[in-house]
Amino acid sequence: MKELDELILPDDIRYSADHEWARIEDEFAYIGISDFAQDQLGDIVFVDMPEVGDSFDQGDEFGSLESVKAVSEMYMPLSGEVVEINEDLSESPELLNADPYENWIIKIRMEDLEDYDQLLDAEAYLESLEE
Amino acid sequence: MQLVDLGLAPYREVLQLQLASVDRIVDGYESESRCFLVEHPPVVTLGKRGGEQYLGVQESFLKERHIDIVSTGRGGFITYHAPGQLVAYPLLRLRSYGISVHEYVFLLEEAMIRTAASFNVAAHRDERNAGVWCADKKLGSIGIAIRHGVTYHGLALNVDLDLEPFSWLSPCGLSGVAMTSISEQAEPHVCVGDVKSYLGQYLQELLTGQIK
Repeated sequence: MKELDELILPDDIRYSADHEWARIEDEFAYIGISDFAQDQLGDIVFVDMPEVGDSFDQGDEFGSLESVKAVSEMYMPLSGEVVEINEDLSESPELLNADPYENWIIKIRMEDLEDYDQLLDAEAYLESLEE
Repeated sequence: MQLVDLGLAPYREVLQLQLASVDRIVDGYESESRCFLVEHPPVVTLGKRGGEQYLGVQESFLKERHIDIVSTGRGGFITYHAPGQLVAYPLLRLRSYGISVHEYVFLLEEAMIRTAASFNVAAHRDERNAGVWCADKKLGSIGIAIRHGVTYHGLALNVDLDLEPFSWLSPCGLSGVAMTSISEQAEPHVCVGDVKSYLGQYLQELLTGQIK
């Protein structure tokens, strides 16, 4: 398990308390899991993703990750409609362990740009992990 | 961690109880960790990814024997529960114990290994699959789920049950794996009542050692 000061937490994205991240691109957002999340789970063997066209509210469960014998739910950091899923993860779920930021999980069309402002920046997210 | 002995209770009812308890812990109404200890009437359960493909008999075959099939959200594939198998469902917030998901799985395995050792049964881990083994036979299985950082589902340790139903499926999606039980490995005969307090105590000790 990584020490907190070993975690990679890019500061150009925002984080939720449930360890998801979001990166904005125009009215779209890419969503993935943090380095802390992948490190806690261990080797990820399966990614259960929603379908394109599914809509979720902020905080809704949108999928799950299975590591060795453990299924962990994932929650939407933002409200919106799924416009793309990362198909590479179906074949190679371990990509999430290798680089959880390069390998986003879903791309959504955001419902409300202000949702993003409520998320934690890297510094605030790290502080929440220290609690 | 509070141990709650549910005795013999149907799988679906206990699943509902777990989900309600997890939500109360997530929402902050219940802070204390708890562990349900239970035996289930015969039931086949599937993991989040299913596992129907590992069922070697028709569903009607199970129905005739009054064996329910339940889809669940836990990790792993297909398995079987019946009286004589001790099942433990620890419900706890992993962050409160300062352990990661894979450390938690390791700890559940450790509790089963120590419990088996208390009855002079040497069990061990095997890299093929999570859970605990006696030589090439599987003694105990693990399948967990995590909601907002709180664990549910858990482990199943074969104590003293008819192992034949396991041959109707490929437990955990492993073909050609035989199951065993503490009573098959140990002399004299061991029953769930003998094992329950050991497993509960080891889970408590191992987890308490982790509290941060």
